[in-house]
Amino acid sequence: METIKKLNLKGHLLTAISYLIPIVCGAGFLIAIGMAFGGTAQGTLIQGKFDFFDGLATMGGAALGLLPVVIATGISYSIAGKPGIAPGFIIGLTANAIGAGFIGGILGGYLAGYLVFAILKYIKVPNWAKGLMPTLIIPFIASMVGGLIMVYVIGMPVAAFTTLLTNFLDGLGNSSLLIFGGVIGLLSGVDYGGPINKTVFAFVLTMQAEGVNGPITALQLVNTATPIGFGLAYFVAKLFGKNIYSKVEVETLKSAVPMGVINIVEGVIPLVMNDIVRGVVATAIGGFVGGATTMILGADATVPFGGVLMLPTMSKPWAGVIAILVNVVVTAVVLAVIKKDVKEEEPEVIAEKEEAEINLEDIQIF
Amino acid sequence: MKIVGVAACTVGIAHTYIAQEKLENAAKKAGHEIQVETQGTIGIENALTPEQIAAADIVILAIDVKISGRERFEGKRIIQVPTEVAVKSPNKLIEKAVEVVEQQPIV
Repeated sequence: METIKKLNLKGHLLTAISYLIPIVCGAGFLIAIGMAFGGTAQGTLIQGKFDFFDGLATMGGAALGLLPVVIATGISYSIAGKPGIAPGFIIGLTANAIGAGFIGGILGGYLAGYLVFAILKYIKVPNWAKGLMPTLIIPFIASMVGGLIMVYVIGMPVAAFTTLLTNFLDGLGNSSLLIFGGVIGLLSGVDYGGPINKTVFAFVLTMQAEGVNGPITALQLVNTATPIGFGLAYFVAKLFGKNIYSKVEVETLKSAVPMGVINIVEGVIPLVMNDIVRGVVATAIGGFVGGATTMILGADATVPFGGVLMLPTMSKPWAGVIAILVNVVVTAVVLAVIKKDVKEEEPEVIAEKEEAEINLEDIQIF
Repeated sequence: MKIVGVAACTVGIAHTYIAQEKLENAAKKAGHEIQVETQGTIGIENALTPEQIAAADIVILAIDVKISGRERFEGKRIIQVPTEVAVKSPNKLIEKAVEVVEQQPIV
């Protein structure tokens, strides 16, 4: 266990995801807007045979198709620093070429990174050959060894596994769909874009790369609905004559809700921080219901990001609309019911809350 | 005591800055000097100067991802935690930092 912890596998994946997210956002918006206006993502744009929106969709599609490469490069960079980039890139492309997809990209990234790390550590060259290390030895040897492992060892089983997973998910019955969607919704909601959310994101993105669109739709619709739910809760609470937010919090909501509409959940974090337990409970319940609704009705956005912009890419946009509405209303009502009344003039000084004890395992001292 | 730090989370738009704010508030409340650099998706902000790093008694890294410029802190006492710890228990973290400095002063 100790060694596994030392390898920091999750940290490397998170670093890669932090590079991946802006690409997913940019490309996601491009493809979502393109497809919303009737464009299609094409393999090659042939002069005179495409319009503006085909262009947008193609840009987005091209970038999203390279996500396994991005994740591999990111992981490899995180492990081995700059020398890790080239082998990560090449092995990531190899994963794409053999159809090992996103899981292949993740494995390829670790492979590339640790190969480079090992070369740096164990292969010592004489001084005259120092210049060959970053230009020849590392990029060539690491890419060749890693690439061959990808082609002959990892590739086929991973491709087979992803097919299996895809078929399994396609074959899920209604009750399993409900649970599966619910769990994804719950997990994506509970830490508001934090590490759990992003780990689930990596998982559902893998599935989307294999053509299963439901899970990622569930995740992103929950991310979209949560901030809107927090906003609606203000008005629902007013109906019961209750005021659940302080003035500062209402100001925060004015930017958090629009951010939510385009799929950025992080805006509500300051609100949640002020009242963690109630915020998380409301989000989790809403997320479970929203995720389950998404999967049952079969909302299936073909893009991995975009909030309401994802709706036009679904085969049944109404399913997505209903899922968001259900999630928003549930979160709002739960919040309105469980939040305490805030007196209008209450000063902003909140008594210092008892802090959670630090888990010593979380601390590394150098 | 003089503290420098770096905050960086996965997405780089929220937890990074919350961790920065919490750490700064907690340190100031305990009477320490502090500056926390943020490495969000937008890039490096509130960057630490070499002088600040040289003068610091301890480095607090509240990070979930690989940061750039880590070699700047070589030879210093470093406490590394996930951003979550800095967000949830900033005061305890600062207390811990003081403890570390007192136990193993840099020669």
